[in-house]
Amino acid sequence: MARSLLAPPTLGGLSLLESGPDDRYFDYCLEPYRPRRPWRGMLRGENIFWQSLALGGALDSLRPPLLALQSSLGPDMTVWGVKWDGTRLFWEVYIYDPLKEEPAATVSSLSTTLAPWLRVIPSVSESAPYVMVSFDLDPTIAARGTIDELNLYLTGEQGQAGRVYKVRSGEAELENTYRFLPPKTGIGQILPLIKASVFVDFSDPTHLARILIPELFACRKICVAKKRRCDAIYFSGVPVDRLLFFLRRFRYPAPLVEFLAYHQERFEHLLFDMGLDYRQGQDGAILYPKTSFYGTL
Amino acid sequence: MLTYKGRFDLTRFEDLTVTVDFHCHSACRFCIVQEGMNLFRGVSLERLRQAVDDNVKHRRYRRICFTGGEVTLEKKLFDYIAIARESGSFEHIRLQTNGRLLADMAFARRLVEAGVDEYFVSLHGHDAATQDHISQRPGSFDEAIRGIANLAELGVCLMTNTVIHSLNVDHLPKIVQTVLPFRPVRMEFWGYIPMEDYADTLGFLVPMRQVVLRLREALSLLRASGTEARVKYVPKCLLGDFADQHDDAQPDVVIAERFFDPYPNFSCIYEGICEHSDTCLGLSHPYINKFGWEESLLQPTPRTRPFVEPDDGPAMGSDRPGEGVAPALDHPEWRILVDGVAERYGAKLSAVQLTRRSCVFTFVRGESSVEFVLSARDDKAPALARTPSFNLHYRAVRGPDREVLSALIRAAAEAVALRDRGGRLLDRRKGLIGAEAFRRHAREPFG
Repeated sequence: MARSLLAPPTLGGLSLLESGPDDRYFDYCLEPYRPRRPWRGMLRGENIFWQSLALGGALDSLRPPLLALQSSLGPDMTVWGVKWDGTRLFWEVYIYDPLKEEPAATVSSLSTTLAPWLRVIPSVSESAPYVMVSFDLDPTIAARGTIDELNLYLTGEQGQAGRVYKVRSGEAELENTYRFLPPKTGIGQILPLIKASVFVDFSDPTHLARILIPELFACRKICVAKKRRCDAIYFSGVPVDRLLFFLRRFRYPAPLVEFLAYHQERFEHLLFDMGLDYRQGQDGAILYPKTSFYGTL
Repeated sequence: MLTYKGRFDLTRFEDLTVTVDFHCHSACRFCIVQEGMNLFRGVSLERLRQAVDDNVKHRRYRRICFTGGEVTLEKKLFDYIAIARESGSFEHIRLQTNGRLLADMAFARRLVEAGVDEYFVSLHGHDAATQDHISQRPGSFDEAIRGIANLAELGVCLMTNTVIHSLNVDHLPKIVQTVLPFRPVRMEFWGYIPMEDYADTLGFLVPMRQVVLRLREALSLLRASGTEARVKYVPKCLLGDFADQHDDAQPDVVIAERFFDPYPNFSCIYEGICEHSDTCLGLSHPYINKFGWEESLLQPTPRTRPFVEPDDGPAMGSDRPGEGVAPALDHPEWRILVDGVAERYGAKLSAVQLTRRSCVFTFVRGESSVEFVLSARDDKAPALARTPSFNLHYRAVRGPDREVLSALIRAAAEAVALRDRGGRLLDRRKGLIGAEAFRRHAREPFG
C-alpha cells in the first residue's frame, strides 16, 4: 500500500488507532458485516469520530466519558454518529442491545459509567422494552455536565421497524418512526414510504434523486424515517469512497474531509452508515436540516 | 490492465481495447476526456506487446481495437497494428476513429493492407452544419463521409458510433439515412455519460423520454434495411421492440488507470426486481441527479431468478488474472480452530466473522455453503456439540452438497473439540462472556 512519508494530518494531536486482529465489524445497528479488506495496515473507524470531536472542540471534555463507555461495553460495541447541520458538528452515541444480553447496555449502567463526567437526568424503567438508547453530545452538554434527554428505541414487527421516544425528566414523547428495508429488492416498499410525505412534493421528478441519492443507493440497508419536522433516510453499509463523497456533497468541515481523503485507503476495509434529514424549502428545493454518518467505537 | 470484468457483463469479453494516444484534431463539444486529452499517455508498444503475448498464451480475446484520442494521428500506429497482426492471436483488428484521415484513400488502403479489417467510425451529425458545429472543426463532416466512402469502396467491415446528446438527438434518424448508403455492418448509439462535467453544466444530457423517441425511429430504419444496431447507456426497457439491440457490455481496456477516476457509475431503481439488471446498467448517476430516477418511465421485467446483491468481492479482488483475490478476513487465532478441515472436503473457508456473541466460519464448496457457529458455552442452551469454551452450531446450509457439508461440519466440530482447551474468550478484551453474563428473562422482550 503506497503511503505518503509526510506526517498524516490529525487534529488535536491525536494518534491514529490501528486496526487489529480482534476488531469486529458492525453497522449502526450492530449487525455484523464482512470487512472489505484484511485489517493489516488499516485504521479503526473510530479515528474519524475522534477527529470530529477534536475539530468540534469537544475532544478534551468528551473523550474520557466516551472511553469509559467503550471500556464498559467492549470495543466495537458503541455506535457513534457525527452530525452536521451546515454550521456546527455535534454527536450522538448509541448503545444497542436488542436481545438484552449485556448488563452494561442499560440506561442504569450507562448512568453509572458516565457519572464522573456527565449526569444522566432522565430515569428509565428497565422494564421498558427498549432495544437501544442514545443521547446527543456537544460542547455545551459537556460543559453543563448533564444529559437532559435520552432517545429510546423500541422495535416493531420483526425488528425491522420501530419508534423513537424522546425522554426527558418526567416525560416522553414520540420523536420519530423508522423502517429498515433492503435497497434493491425492497424498492417496492421504499418508494411509497418515501413518497408518503407531508414535507416534500414529489411531483418534481428530481426530488426523489435528492433523497434517494444515486451515489448511495448501492448500500446494504435503507432506513426510511418519519420525524416530527422533516423526513429522513439512512444508507447503511457504504464504503469509504462514498462516505467521502457524502462529506463533500454536504460540505462537512474541510479538515474532516481532508483527514478522510488523506487516509482513505486505510479505511477501505470498513463500511459506514449515513443519513439525511430532509424537507422541501419555500423555494421548492430540498433542504437538509441535518446530515450524519456513523461507525462504531 | 484495467478491466471491466465483474462490473458490467460477465458473459461477453472477447474484445481488448488498447488506447494508443490522447490527441485529437477534432474538439467535440461533448468529449468526455477533454481534460485528459493531451494529458494521459497512450499505451506503450512495450505494454501492448505484454498484452499481445498474454493473448498468444491464453487466447482470451478474439479482437483487438485500437483507439485514442484520435488513433490515426499516432505516428507509430502501424507498429501497433503490426504487433497485433504478427501475433496471429486476434481474428480481427479494429480501429475506433473519427474517420477524417481516412478521406485519404492511400492512407485508408495502407491501413487495410496492414491488417485492420474493422473500422468503427464516430459520426455525431447528419450533415456538415451539425457535425462541424459539434466537432468545432469545419470540414470534419465531409472528411468523415469521404473516409466512410473509402472504407465502403475497400470492402472492409464498417461500423459507426453516434453518441446521443442534446446537439444531435433530433437527428438520429437522419444520421442513419446518411450512413446507410455506405452499407455499414452495424450502427451503434451510445447514451452520453458526463465524466469531467459530472453535473452536466454544459447541458448535453437529454431526458430519456426524448432520447427514446428519436432512437426508436433510427432503430426502425436500421431494422428495415437489415442493418445491425447496438445501443449502450440507454436502459433496455426503454427500447421496446428493439430491446434485443441493447448491449451495455464493455471490452477490457488497456488505458491510463486515472482515466476511470471520474467515470460515472450507474444505477437502476428497479435493479433488485428486474430480470435484466445483470446486463443493463440503468441510468448514469449524473443523469439521475439531473432528471431523476425515471421510476415512472422505466418498465422492469419481473425477475424469474432471485436477486443476489453484488458483494464487494470485485473491489477486493485482483484485476490481474491468476493473481487471486485478497482474503477478506483474517482472524488467525480463530481460523486456526478449523484450519485444514475445509480442504479435506474440497471446500474452502471463505470467511471468519466475529460478531457480538459468536464466531462464524463460512465454508464454501462450489455452489454450496454452510456457516459453522461458535457461541459461548452454555450447558442449558441447545447445541450441536460442546467444547470447553463453546457451544457449536451450524446454520444457513445452501446448495446441493448437503451430505459433504454435513461431514465437513462434523469434522469442524471435532477439530474445535481437539484444539479448544478451554478458557477461550469471544471478546478477550472485555472478559469472559458466558451464561452468567446473560440476563435470561428478556430474550423476547415484546412477546
